[in-house]
This record gives sequence, C-alpha cells and structure tokens, in this order.
Amino acid sequence: MKPDATVRIFLLFGIAVTAVLIILPAIQAIVLSFQSVNSFVVAGEWAGLANYRRILGMPEFWRDLWTGTCYAVCTVALQVVLGIGSALILHAPIRGQALFRAIAILPYILPTVVVAISFQWMLDGNVGIVTHWLKALGISNFVWSDSSFAAFATVVGVSVWMWTPFVTICVLASLQTIPDELYAAARVDGAGPFQSFRHVTLPGIRDVLVVVVLLRGIWMFNKFDVIWLMTQGGPLGGTEHLPVLSYHMAFRLYDIGGGAAVATLSLILLTVALVVFFRRFPIET
Amino acid sequence: MAPVSIKGLKKRFGSLEVVKGIDIDIADGEFVVLVGPSGCGKSTLLRMLAGLENISDGEIRIGSKVVNDLPPKDRDIAMVFQNYALYPHMKVADNMGFSLKLKKMSKADIAPRVDRAADILGLRQLLDRYPRQLSGGQRQRVAMGRAIVRAPQVFLFDEPLSNLDAKLRVAMRAEIKALHQKLKTTTVYVTHDQIEAMTMADKIVVMRDGVVEQIGTPLELYDRPANLFVAGFIGSPSMNQIRGTVRGGAFETTGGVCLPLSGAPKTADGRVAIYGARPEHFMLSDDGLPAEVTVVEPTGSETHVMANLGTTPVVCVFRERIRAMPGDTIRIAPLPEAAHLFDADSGRAIRAA
Repeated sequence: MKPDATVRIFLLFGIAVTAVLIILPAIQAIVLSFQSVNSFVVAGEWAGLANYRRILGMPEFWRDLWTGTCYAVCTVALQVVLGIGSALILHAPIRGQALFRAIAILPYILPTVVVAISFQWMLDGNVGIVTHWLKALGISNFVWSDSSFAAFATVVGVSVWMWTPFVTICVLASLQTIPDELYAAARVDGAGPFQSFRHVTLPGIRDVLVVVVLLRGIWMFNKFDVIWLMTQGGPLGGTEHLPVLSYHMAFRLYDIGGGAAVATLSLILLTVALVVFFRRFPIET
Repeated sequence: MAPVSIKGLKKRFGSLEVVKGIDIDIADGEFVVLVGPSGCGKSTLLRMLAGLENISDGEIRIGSKVVNDLPPKDRDIAMVFQNYALYPHMKVADNMGFSLKLKKMSKADIAPRVDRAADILGLRQLLDRYPRQLSGGQRQRVAMGRAIVRAPQVFLFDEPLSNLDAKLRVAMRAEIKALHQKLKTTTVYVTHDQIEAMTMADKIVVMRDGVVEQIGTPLELYDRPANLFVAGFIGSPSMNQIRGTVRGGAFETTGGVCLPLSGAPKTADGRVAIYGARPEHFMLSDDGLPAEVTVVEPTGSETHVMANLGTTPVVCVFRERIRAMPGDTIRIAPLPEAAHLFDADSGRAIRAA
C-alpha cells in the first residue's frame, strides 16, 4: 500500500468518527434550535428565531451566562496559578520526586462522580468531616448547600482540586525543556529568583500556558458533570450555568428547541471568546 | 581588567572531590585556557569562578577582592555559555542589554553600550532579530556581545565553540582571539580541544581528574611536557610513546630497536622508561630505521604515515608527499634532540638537571 493511501484511510476514519459523533449532532442541535419541539418522538415545527428571542429575554439566561463565565474564569485562574506553583515544586530536585509527582496527578485520574460524591460526604451537614471541623472551630449549623456563594465556592474548589494536575503536568513537562544554562546566564546577568521566573521561566512555559488556558477555558465553560452531580445548579440557581440551563430546558421541561438554542448561543459565545484569545495570545512558531 | 588568583581551590559534591586543590595565577589581561578531557573539573572550576558553584575550600580573588561568597552579579565577570544561553523571547539588542536593564540603567544609557558592542562584533543589522532567526555563529557572537556590553573585569568562556561546525569554529577562534587583542580583558576559556587551547592561549592550564597537570605557554607545553599525560594530550596526532630501557645514552625499545637520545641524564641509564617522539620529529633518511607502512593518510599539506618500527606502531608526519603503500618499508630516523624521556612508573619527564 502506498503511504498516501494509508494516510487517507486513517484520515477518512477520523473524519467519519468526528462526523458521526460531533459534527452531525452539532448540526442537529443547531437545526433543533430553530424549531419548536417538545417531544423526542414527534418531529418539531419550524419556529425561526422564536427560541432565540425567548431565551435572550429570559433573566435566567443572563444570570447563567454570568455564573458560567465566573466559574470558568475562577477555576482556570486558580488552576493555572496553583498548577504553575505545584509544577515548580515538583520540578525542584527533592527526595522522593517521582512519588510526589505520582501523587500530584491522582485527582485527575479519579472519576468525576467519585470526587463529587466524596466531597458531598465531606461537606454533609450532619456527618461530614468538614462540618465536624467547622463545629470544632465554633461554627455550627453551617449547611454549605444553603448558600449560593458557598455552593459556588464549593464547585469551584472541587473543580480546581480535580483539574489542577492537568496544568501541573503540562507546565512540569514544559519546565523541563528550559535549559539550565539560561538560569545560569540570568544569574550571571544579575537576576534574582523573581526576575529569573519573570524572564526565563515564564517565557519558557508561555506557549504551553496559552494552550493550557485555552483548553481549560473551553472545558470549564462547558463543564457539566461536576456542577450537575454536586448541586444541579442550585441552590436557587446559584450555581446554574449554560450547560445546566440547556440540559434543564431540554430534558426536564421538554423544551428541546429552547435547550438547543441555549447550547448554540453558548457555542457562538465561546467561539468568539476563543478568537479574541488567539488574537491576543498568538502561539509563536 | 583584573588579575585572577586561585589558591588551594577544592570542590566536593558529597564525598566526591572533583576539584582537588588548584592554584592558578592569571595576570591582568591574560588569555588563559583550561583544557583537559571531559570530567577533569575544568567546567566546574569555571563555574566556581563565575559564582555558579559554591567553593568547598580555597580562595578565588578577582582583582584584589576575595569573591568566594559573592553572587555572580557582584563579581564583575561575564560568561559565554556552550549553548549560548540567549533568552529566546528577547531580541538581540534586549539580550545584550539585559544585565544593564537589571542594574536599573536607563534605556538611553543602555542603547549606546549595546550599539558599541554590536559594532565591535558586526551585529548592527541583527539587533532587531530574535535568537531563533540567527545562525549558530551569529548566536555565538551575540553571546559574546552580551558579555562585552557589561565591560567586565573578566570574561569566562565555557566551551563556546563546541556546537559550531569545523570551519566556523576555526573562524570564530580567530575572532575571539582578535577580540581579546582589541579589548585586552582578562579571559578564562574552557575547552576540551587542545588545538583551540594551543592557538588561542597566552597560557594553558592542562587539567586531569581535578588537578593541574601543567601550566605554561602553548609552546612550552608542546616542547617540554611535564609528564606523559600532557605529552599525549597536547599535539595532534599524539606523541608516539614507546616503552623500553635507557642504555648507554640511547634507548632500546622492548622490541629491541635502538632509538637515539641526546642529553639523557646519566642517572637515567638502565631505567625502564617511555620514549616520546612527536610524529613530525621522524625524518625520512637512508640510514634510518626500517619501518613497515600500515596506513598512509594524505592531508594535502602533509602526509600521515602509520608504520611498525619493529613491533612498535608509530605515527609519523611528513611535509613531503611520499608514495609509500601499505606493506612498503620506509626508513625513518627520530630527531634525537627533539626526543622526550618519561619515567615508566610516574610518567614524569626525565630531564638533565
């Protein structure tokens, strides 16, 4: 077989999988967003922009957009800061380095459902260990799921705990590509630890950071499982963002056209954000 | 510019001693090359001079100041690294001016100094480029520019030419030497390449296993190596080292061939020794010793001939083009006055007092 043919077969296979699993459902969702559908069995009717007009007029949409944006920004920022910090620690030549590195990636390989349930137990208002500790500190009757802010902070905390290792691994790999000579040169040039970080480390990991922020941004903006498992968007919509809203409308209220319109709007907004991001932080070649 | 003095310098990594008590005096403006095989401690020594490695024992002075505990930036040195170590995200001009920027010098003060260094090195057109847009030789020059901009007391070079191809290396060698003649800054240069050492140095320090084997001018080391190691390390092809016994003012190899000596001390008579003869100190002569040719390597300017002198393999270099073929017998005579004699046990040179 010619190498060309091999390449084509692999490419075709990849395109086929992408088409069936991603592109067709996406097109289907976009088509649905222009229809009035309230059943998964009966075909919908063309509704034009009615769904969009309705959704843009819903205060929940704007609240959830804001919540989702806050959630994505907070989690990505914390993941990046903590990820860089832990990567720097794991990069240092310390005893037991391999062990610490293995431990550090553990949260990332746990199933989300396990993490979510574990944290729910720990935060349980009656038997949770955190509740217990809070009591010891004199704070009693604190139920985390009663307060919007506490619930939001919790989903952010769990998300950060769970996905920081992704940033850590990427940054750690990238740190290892920075030659020691550059740090030596910076020392000879008179740079202290902070200046070395600013002028050698940061530029050295910049390209990886751009990609990491991009990926984590997309994932956190679309993240559904953690929030759904922990709060289902509650209390009183305090942790509800667009994916939850879309799910809620489509699968709970059987407003399938409306749910699809939310998803489509979410896709458009994210695409615009990514274009702006790439304009601002081009990946250097 | 400043003299550098190194006294009793030691470096230990745990229980492993890699620099074992070194004394070197470097005069103001001198170009000193530290040379030796890999692992001899030369780079560690340089890094200690730079302040990148702690000193386990001993003392380093730059000028009149003991710098043992000073950080690199306060030692008034500049260093050129093997892989150039240019900051990849900074343009050439920013790379060169970085140390001055860290010293909080104003842009208006930095620019003329960068420009002057760029003029010296012919980097004017490259100031706005990034390191990745430069060739190996240009990067090397920028690294030197970064050193020059600081106008330091001492330049430190750590195998700066190792990553360049052979032709460029020769060209840069001459350029660095010319630069030193222009700036007259004290320079310590580390290399494993004895030709670089020979061609560039005012003074060579030959190191092995963390100790200094010999210090001297290039020709001193070449003409009067203190021991077998220096004799073998300096010069290419290497000096022939032939084992045998000194007998009645001549040298008898273990194979029974008699080689001429001149001026061997009387005390050497009867001693087991090594006879050292540089390849170019064999002459073709009708009354020379018969030797069977095994390999002929014409380089154009000279001819390298490997031959067996009795059972002893030797390498000879002739300026002439000789037409010998492998298997032929040629007659060669070593120059007795250029012959070296070394003690077989200690490896030290045996010389008339």
